Amino acid sequence: MNCEVCQLKELVSLGPPEPRQEVEHIEVREVLRCILHTILFHRALGLVRPKDVDLELFDITYVQCGDVEHEKKINEKIDHFIDRVEKHPNKKNQICLSFYEVKNKQATWFTNKVERHYWEQWYINLNTVQHPKTHSGKSHHPKVVVDPGETASEERNARRTALESSLREVLFQIIKFVNEKKDHVPPIPNLDGVSFPYEITISSSSDSAFGMDMLKRMLQTGHPTMLS
Amino acid sequence: MASNHGNTNSEPATNEQIITEFFAKSLHIILESRCPYVSSRNYSGEQVLSSPSSSSSSSSIFWPRDKWFNLALKDCSAALENIDFWRQSYLEPMVVDVVLVQRSSNWDPLNCSPKKALVRNLSSKERYYWNSENDEYRNEVMSEKIIERWVVEYESKKCSNIGGGGGGSGSKRWSSTSSHTLYKKSTLLLRSLYVTVRLLPAYKLFRDLISSAQIGMYNLGHRVSSFVEPFTHTEEAEMQRFVFTPVDTACGRLCLSVLYRSSISDVSSEPSTPMSPQFIPDYVGSPMADPLKTFPSGPLPQGSPSFSHLGRRHSWSYDLYKASPPSGIPSPSPSYSESHATFAKPHSYRLPPTGVTCHLPDETPQEHVKNTNYDEYSPSPNFSMSPSPSPPTYTPGIHISNALKRSESAPVSIPAIRASGIPPLFYNQMLPPSPPLRPSKSSLAKMDCRSTLLQAGSTVDKIFPFGKDEAGRLTGVKISSNSSPQKSISRSSSRLSFPDDYDESEFSGPFVVDEDDMTDPGSRPGSFDPVGNPCGQNDHLGVSAVKKSQDAAVGALVCMLKKAPPLQQDLQNSANLLHGSRPEILKSTTMDPNQISGQPVMQQSAAMSSAASLLAPKTTADALEELRGYAVMKNSLLKQGGDHKHT
Repeated sequence: MNCEVCQLKELVSLGPPEPRQEVEHIEVREVLRCILHTILFHRALGLVRPKDVDLELFDITYVQCGDVEHEKKINEKIDHFIDRVEKHPNKKNQICLSFYEVKNKQATWFTNKVERHYWEQWYINLNTVQHPKTHSGKSHHPKVVVDPGETASEERNARRTALESSLREVLFQIIKFVNEKKDHVPPIPNLDGVSFPYEITISSSSDSAFGMDMLKRMLQTGHPTMLS
Repeated sequence: MASNHGNTNSEPATNEQIITEFFAKSLHIILESRCPYVSSRNYSGEQVLSSPSSSSSSSSIFWPRDKWFNLALKDCSAALENIDFWRQSYLEPMVVDVVLVQRSSNWDPLNCSPKKALVRNLSSKERYYWNSENDEYRNEVMSEKIIERWVVEYESKKCSNIGGGGGGSGSKRWSSTSSHTLYKKSTLLLRSLYVTVRLLPAYKLFRDLISSAQIGMYNLGHRVSSFVEPFTHTEEAEMQRFVFTPVDTACGRLCLSVLYRSSISDVSSEPSTPMSPQFIPDYVGSPMADPLKTFPSGPLPQGSPSFSHLGRRHSWSYDLYKASPPSGIPSPSPSYSESHATFAKPHSYRLPPTGVTCHLPDETPQEHVKNTNYDEYSPSPNFSMSPSPSPPTYTPGIHISNALKRSESAPVSIPAIRASGIPPLFYNQMLPPSPPLRPSKSSLAKMDCRSTLLQAGSTVDKIFPFGKDEAGRLTGVKISSNSSPQKSISRSSSRLSFPDDYDESEFSGPFVVDEDDMTDPGSRPGSFDPVGNPCGQNDHLGVSAVKKSQDAAVGALVCMLKKAPPLQQDLQNSANLLHGSRPEILKSTTMDPNQISGQPVMQQSAAMSSAASLLAPKTTADALEELRGYAVMKNSLLKQGGDHKHT
């Protein structure tokens, strides 16, 4: 069975003006939560009672599958991602959501091999841009007196509007991909909620294994992974 | 993939059920996020607007229908009311129009007019309704605009050969037609639909409506129909289209698409001002607004198994400002819906109905009116739908079991619907009684009557001058059988009948109305045989004469009058008839020749008296007396016969 890969459109998010400003990470949280839950909802083919969630920053309502456990797992991964973003600002970061099937369990003396067959991978590309610092000194345009705060606010709003538009595009991209690719999805197991096992991995462009990890996952179909 | 060897017989039926439930589920998803009204079934007698973002995951109660496609949704009565048609036949497309109704109130005391005015622009989707009759001199303008059009349809095509055919395409199609695959793909499609309806601009309007506690300047309505007027090029240019990837089956494919307006966000930005409800008599859909429009006041005509092919299904829900409904329509309620069925060719276009559901958030919803018209639809005989559908669950290796025993759709597995289709009992209950295959004699006679009416009518003009009186006199006259064959007309219920061997020339002969029939309406031709039925010898004609029509009888009577001899001649004939009937009277009795010998005098006297009585004009009383006389005569003869035996 082929592994279908979907590279989602890159999103540009404005990072906080100062590091460790949790309140400003909400934008990243919102975006990632929206995308991850939307993908998961499409793959939760067991019995679900969908839960509509309104984003705070954007005029978008996304859907969760209503499973508290999975919501918690996603929130943890998002926290990890934010930590990485803070460690590596102005970097292109990527979250990979992979669905797999457990193929052959080979229990040997040495290792407890669990063979996973990835049948679908979603790559969420998020570019976190550092918040531009306000210029308290000279202005490039001395004739025009511009309030730096107002400029920053307007710029932020513009960026947020652009981000919202991009987020909508990404959501429609997910919908289209789900519609176009259906044959590779395994049969629906008799489970409630999220019916297929999945994993979420985080990588960034600064990571040396960034590209290798991608290539590795795309080529291999059974190597064990320690990531979860 | 689970093997299908054990379920090949039920695969098509299961697929049909999946498709049917797909229609229902898709409608539910769409209306749930577009219909502001909250079903009363969600709450116990209390109107509470639920926030769409409220977590309902804590609820562990699942309706049986929730388990279809593993998607438990909020209750939506609008969807349940409108889906019955497509439960019977999914071959018709389901078009769901989401309509934005905007109203603006203009204070214009100078230009107020006591007259009502109705302006409707039928050339476009925007209709404006203006009513200026009110005490407050306020003008209201309402505009109606379709902001979304969802189309769910099953495009049927020639079924591919199962297991046959050549190449990979055939095998690929076969692999895609299994019930499991179809169910999985349908589930995925519905997931996408659920997400998509919340991303479109109309969802924002819906959210604003249900969250606003005041009457806004707009409202959302919906229409569910199978045929709608297509958009013009201009209108379509203003809209965007999103097409979901169809799901292929062996005999067709499931298609889902939406046309939506992307520029309606300015509507919700208008400030909502409190406004008292205005009574508008000329509301959309009232007979006064459109006198030509007819509203079914009762159940729609049902019965034809081909109704799904001939009829066009349309329903819409309408409720605006609690206006009084037109006659024949129940009082409006937020979930009021009305059904229409007109016979039209498929894909024909007509003006869409003007009724729209508008739910005002601050209104207390009236009693939920269930549209019972849907219950009277009979299912298409081609559609093998179980009376209690059950959504399937996937358990590889487990044989598909029959889940028809459940009262409501509750899944265990893909049900093994009978190969024979609808259960006979269910089928018979839903279909109307079939018309009789063999027409009755009266109906046959009626058909023959039509042909003879034309023939008899041609002679009417000639014989009418004789008038009725003469015709009336001759009703009791018997004409000799020697001159022409006699016909008798019995007063049966099917007087409108003619003999099959009717010949116009026979009318030139006597038109005999059985005397006994005239004397006793309840009598029958054969009942007076013992007393001397002059028509006894013409029994075969008597049977055929039952079929004469009244008009032809009149014509024949008139014709007879024309050709009948004078009355005095009739008297002679009647006397001859009397003599001729004597042997019959004698034959009809069981007396011995010895008995007869003792009665000739008595008989002669009786005959003479009867002949004399025949000469005088007869009345019913006279006839009755005559009958009594005959009865006395008979009794006396019998008595005499009995005395002779003893002696």
